[in-house]
Amino acid sequence: MIQVRAQIRDRELHGAVHILHLHAPDLARQLHPGQAVLIQTGWYVDPFLRRTFYPVAIDDAGFAIRLAPDADRGRAWLRMAPQGAEIDILGPVGRGYALPERTRRILCLGQGDAAWTLLPLVHAASAQGLGVALAMEASTKRQTIPPRDLPITVEYHVATLDGSAGRRGDLRPLLPDLLRWADAVMAAGSLDFYHVLARMIEDARMILPRDYAQALYQTDFLCGFGACQACAADVAGGRRRVCLRGPVFDLVDILR
Amino acid sequence: MLNLAPRNKLGLVIDSPLLAGSGAVGYGDAWPPGLRPEDFGAIITAPVSAAPRKGRPQPRLTEIPGGFLLDTGGHNPGFRRLAASQIRTWRRLPTPVILALAGGEPGDRAWMAAHLEPLEDVIAGVELSVSEDVNLGETAAFIAAVRRATPLPILARLPVTRATYLARTAIVAGADALIVGTPPPASYPASQTLIEAPLSGPAAFPFTLRALSLLAELDLDSPIIAAGGVYSLDDALLCLEMGASAVAIRGLVWRDPAAARRLAINIRPFMPEMEGVESDEG
Repeated sequence: MIQVRAQIRDRELHGAVHILHLHAPDLARQLHPGQAVLIQTGWYVDPFLRRTFYPVAIDDAGFAIRLAPDADRGRAWLRMAPQGAEIDILGPVGRGYALPERTRRILCLGQGDAAWTLLPLVHAASAQGLGVALAMEASTKRQTIPPRDLPITVEYHVATLDGSAGRRGDLRPLLPDLLRWADAVMAAGSLDFYHVLARMIEDARMILPRDYAQALYQTDFLCGFGACQACAADVAGGRRRVCLRGPVFDLVDILR
Repeated sequence: MLNLAPRNKLGLVIDSPLLAGSGAVGYGDAWPPGLRPEDFGAIITAPVSAAPRKGRPQPRLTEIPGGFLLDTGGHNPGFRRLAASQIRTWRRLPTPVILALAGGEPGDRAWMAAHLEPLEDVIAGVELSVSEDVNLGETAAFIAAVRRATPLPILARLPVTRATYLARTAIVAGADALIVGTPPPASYPASQTLIEAPLSGPAAFPFTLRALSLLAELDLDSPIIAAGGVYSLDDALLCLEMGASAVAIRGLVWRDPAAARRLAINIRPFMPEMEGVESDEG
């Protein structure tokens, strides 16, 4: 983990959603998909807590974070921060997704806003020449990842609850075929989503084996380096600090 | 150099008036970027109890204006496991380690203190937190029990709202120094529940200052460590001016390690002098 001053180098607006591109090459070099960064917002000590973000893009010069509209003061400050502003960042936090050796086909499965955190992994895996399928479910089309943000080689499936994009409903009907195809699964969503995923894996592959599926346990951090115990959650057979053991876990460990 | 336990034959000598407050660096094993053990005069561990505690499930944390509330439910691995797992870490640290002993069943803290003998070469003292709801007799009893069980310096952490009431009793019972202290408990919502915990963050600083000023009037002959809401050099210097021998930080270490490092560097020239102090100059 390092602490850096990063500059807001660009801002994309997609309706009410902001994508902030941050210039932080030193941090970007250490940052892996699924790891978190902790951003200080506001002035002096208000708001006090750093905001936790899971980057939605990583390159040599820095990374990008996504700000969906909400009532949080810290994120509101970031939405208003001008281009060129410097912000203080701690990161990376914890362990991210790790592509298993000998994997050739990975399935990335996302739910809602969390699905965006899979984007750096999708790009990294595609750049390595792996077969990549991304499947996401969302409330509406506005929440979905635009196909233009994906490498051309990625197979993309979308389901929306209102039917505004892709198939109407959730991903369940698509999963049996995708799970039989994939060597490994990388997921980002809610605990309920992971329970459904685990059942679908058991149906498709008989068992939920260890080292087959990894999942992001999305939580907010206070210190991010294991001191404060604020992030301790019931994972991996005990109450563990997510900042040290996660935030990406084997799916087996998240459901234990 | 400064001795935080001048009446104790073992003493507790520190070379900086800045301490890592209870749990700021976990058990001495969790370090943020840029901060080193040498930046602190001593390290106070997170509290450990006689038996392991699983602690509170999520949520544990909520933000309040000017700070946060953190309730871990006393999550810790228990005394025996902690001692076994951390003894090598403590031995390697170039900074004195003060072990915070958490309350629990009556006699737990004395039991832990009695089992500190094998650790006396790596543990420089113990911190005992006095809770909001104990009376003078109970305070005297548990501090005295720990005093009988270990020769190590005892730092009694007092609730800021009752510091003047409890201070003399804690010292008479065997405390070598006072930590002022534990901020008042507060409640705030988080994920459809309430977090109840002592106030943390800059919002706690006025409570620390008030307790310090009231304690100064008592003219106690014991070192006082200011803890709670110290976030800048100005805050720390104000505490020293008001009679504190040292200041402890925690939230600043968690939120802004670089600022904590700057404070560690800038406060060194302001090491207070007091009676019974060992000095570099001899």
